[in-house]
Amino acid sequence: MFGYIRPAKERLSEHDEQLFQTAYCGLCHELGRKYGFAARFVLNFDFTFLAILLSETREPECTSCRCAAHPCKVRRVMAHTGALEIAADHSIVLAWWQLKDHIADHGFLKSVPYRLTALFLRRAYRKASVCVPEFDASVQRHLGELAVREKACCDSLDQAAEPFAALMADIAAVAPDELHRRVMAEIFYHLGRWIYLVDAADDLKKDFASGCYNPLRYRYGLESGTLDEAARNEVALSLDLSVRRMASAYALLERGAWSDILDSIFYESLYGIGNAVLKGTYHKPPRRTHFRTKPEKNEETV
Amino acid sequence: MNDPYQILNIPPTATDEEVKRAYRNLARKYHPDNYHDNPLADLAQEKMKEINEAYDQIQKQRKAASAASQSYSYGAGDYGDGYGGSTYGAGRLQQVRMAINRGDVSLAERLLAGVSEHDAEWNFLMGVVCSRRGWMDEAKRYLETAVQMDPNNSEYRSALAALTGAGYRPEGFRTFHTGSFDENACMRCCAAWSCCTLFSGGGCYFLPCFYY
Repeated sequence: MFGYIRPAKERLSEHDEQLFQTAYCGLCHELGRKYGFAARFVLNFDFTFLAILLSETREPECTSCRCAAHPCKVRRVMAHTGALEIAADHSIVLAWWQLKDHIADHGFLKSVPYRLTALFLRRAYRKASVCVPEFDASVQRHLGELAVREKACCDSLDQAAEPFAALMADIAAVAPDELHRRVMAEIFYHLGRWIYLVDAADDLKKDFASGCYNPLRYRYGLESGTLDEAARNEVALSLDLSVRRMASAYALLERGAWSDILDSIFYESLYGIGNAVLKGTYHKPPRRTHFRTKPEKNEETV
Repeated sequence: MNDPYQILNIPPTATDEEVKRAYRNLARKYHPDNYHDNPLADLAQEKMKEINEAYDQIQKQRKAASAASQSYSYGAGDYGDGYGGSTYGAGRLQQVRMAINRGDVSLAERLLAGVSEHDAEWNFLMGVVCSRRGWMDEAKRYLETAVQMDPNNSEYRSALAALTGAGYRPEGFRTFHTGSFDENACMRCCAAWSCCTLFSGGGCYFLPCFYY
């Protein structure tokens, strides 16, 4: 997965920020508990989001502990729940098949890092594929379909995004009842579509340089690795439409303790992330203003 | 029936003004425009019905002026699931509308593929089918074509308007969009939460926790 989904931090109260962090740490610990240390590297924001969507609506139980990443700090960690386990299983399976994809896409030498990672992840994958066999088959099928469409240089954004979106929608099968399954399937479908398109926009320059397939290139007949203004507005609107679909599906759910975090994602941060990616400012390093002890030089005089 | 106050998410001590505001906010949330050609339209419709009933019940209990309670009542037939009343109505495309009404999107798609004449209505129905499937980019293109071919058709125009409409956001959220490029309002969080995951293509091989 890609790790694009994050709440709008400035919107969250301290309590909610902490709550999101407990879920993030909880998923990391769940990965470690069930699949061993190496599996914790699979952790990302997108599956934290998934765990939150599937979690019970009341405030989660937490424990405090230290971990390898933060040896000096005691952290609040969400205790084991079914939702965390589901998120962990699915993230291992998806990570494994994406890794396999990378190995197939790259030459022998370039794929060495991926091969090494696969070596560490193999045992975890075997265990996870037994826990979620349907999802395992679905990922395999859909990624195969995606490869076919990429090879055919598909010029439709929706058709190119369909396999990944449908794969995400299959996660909804774990929901407890029909209503939740339908709503989750809609959220996850558009989440998958959104992630696929955001990732395509993010990688556009790189794909042009390396000659890899990128749906935006064929949809808008691009000659260079940048979108012109009209195309950029089109992509932005297309992303908006998916975010709105997610939000209108989310409106049908009760998310209790998680409401503020999810509100900030569906009503604000997804727009902001898409905007930053299209503007090309997404990967800018964070500005750590609080580290600046000396007064800044006036930029105009430099 | 459940507690109407619970449905509107307000305490029983709420003032008339608060009740009205809560009701209006929820009605905005589940408004048919937000669920036009949406596979979850039926669920939103149920919610809306529940909210309308709760509001009416509170109004009755409080014996408030009935005129006020009527003015915000939203109809139930506006969820984009009434495609029967076409004036074109002939043959295949009528069948497509019926298939869409039944929710059988793949049948509708197959029927549309068999039609050789791609007129405004065909483009419109393709747009509706794509919208139901979540193919938003194509839905927009087909609906735009339909409107272009038949600019006076209000059905096509309203479908396009609903698709590209602003959608619901709770009070307090800015009307910021992915395409708001000129504004300087982009959230700082994008930068502050700089992320990297193991498999993000180029790949940064760090424990993601370090980014927290």
